[in-house]
Amino acid sequence: MAQSGFDRRRINGPEESFAPLYEDEEAQDQWKVGRLRLGRNPDNIRPIFLQPGLIDQANGSAYIETGNTKIACAIYGPRQSKNVAFHDKGRLNVELKFTPFSCPKRRAPIRDAEDRSIAMAIHQAILPSVRLETLPKATIDIFITVIEADGIEGCIASGSIAASAALIDAGIEVFGLVASTSAAIVGDDVWLDPTHEEASNSKGTFVLSCMPALGTLTSLWQNGVITPTELITCMDTCEKQCAEMHAVVAQTLRETVTVS
Amino acid sequence: MDAILLPGQPVALPPRAPKPQLGPGAYVRDDTVRASLLGLPKIEGTTLTIPRVRPHPPAPNSVILGSVTRLSPLQAFLSISVVDGVPLPAGEEFTGVIRSQDVRATEKDRVKIGDCFRGGDVVRGVVISLGDARSYFITTARNDLGVIFATSEAGATLEPVSWQEMRCPKTGKIEKRKCAKPEGL
Repeated sequence: MAQSGFDRRRINGPEESFAPLYEDEEAQDQWKVGRLRLGRNPDNIRPIFLQPGLIDQANGSAYIETGNTKIACAIYGPRQSKNVAFHDKGRLNVELKFTPFSCPKRRAPIRDAEDRSIAMAIHQAILPSVRLETLPKATIDIFITVIEADGIEGCIASGSIAASAALIDAGIEVFGLVASTSAAIVGDDVWLDPTHEEASNSKGTFVLSCMPALGTLTSLWQNGVITPTELITCMDTCEKQCAEMHAVVAQTLRETVTVS
Repeated sequence: MDAILLPGQPVALPPRAPKPQLGPGAYVRDDTVRASLLGLPKIEGTTLTIPRVRPHPPAPNSVILGSVTRLSPLQAFLSISVVDGVPLPAGEEFTGVIRSQDVRATEKDRVKIGDCFRGGDVVRGVVISLGDARSYFITTARNDLGVIFATSEAGATLEPVSWQEMRCPKTGKIEKRKCAKPEGL
């Protein structure tokens, strides 16, 4: 990305640089409209690895991998709010950052609009689950670092799960565990957990977050062209997947209690 | 009742028992008691809790330890580092303030902050309210509350000799403080 002006807080390299453009050697293997999904069924998600409690100095933390997406989440707090007026409920802040090496194209370390919108989506997904009324005058800060990204929708879904697991690891009271799933509409099919390539080939993408223990939704996020019928099908499919994911995450969290 | 509960999971209550009061870690939703922390539920008397020892913000009636960071003629500011016996992580201290009318229970109008606290003293206090936007209101108006550790001008640890005096073991000089009654007396 082009930088406007001299950044005095970093070592400055060339003013502009571009990633090399490679000839498409694998053009024949690429997916085309009408073909089946490569490597997995439409209702399969990528393999998940989740580990709470990896960051020592954080009050709570979680690390999650889904396929090529790798996200680390750290929670600090409840701690004192600064420069804020009195409030008798706690506040929840979410900050998300992509590492420069997390995408095929290098991302500048400076925060941009996309980081903010994804952070807001994750904040919206987990805010209804936190019992903020038990934390007057305090602030909970969540820092999410995307170490490798393969699909923006996957980052939102995985980031929400990691943030919720980290909240529980930190011992903050929550109403329920948040599970989140993304989907893409390709042709007439609903494909769960799309990769970056699948999402760009689809006509619409969708992220659903819910609390399966309570049977409530916390967030819906839709992009592209999706008809109401497809939307309802999408929601049903995602909700079933969230229930399964909740069981997996629950088992992981139970093991941490047994160990400690 | 020997299974680890997840947040949102209903708590199985003993049949034909009165409904327990809910402490930290549980809540009611649609007439169902659910966990809000990860752990094992425990019933003590009539209170159901999911105990978890972790650093938490001060609340009214919390016993806190803090060090004096700033003094003014009418109040002393503390940096709260221990809440209910649990230390807060470094860098996550809360701010508390002891107003002159909260220093002791007697002779409130004659209190001089400079005769009760000095910068750097470690003070035990009780939170009386959430206070204002920045500070919790702290009181030391009990015999067991007040300064529990102080350093003299000569750099030695002061020893309490009465409820308002401390002596330096090195120089023998008396300094004024609002002393906490030592435990075991």
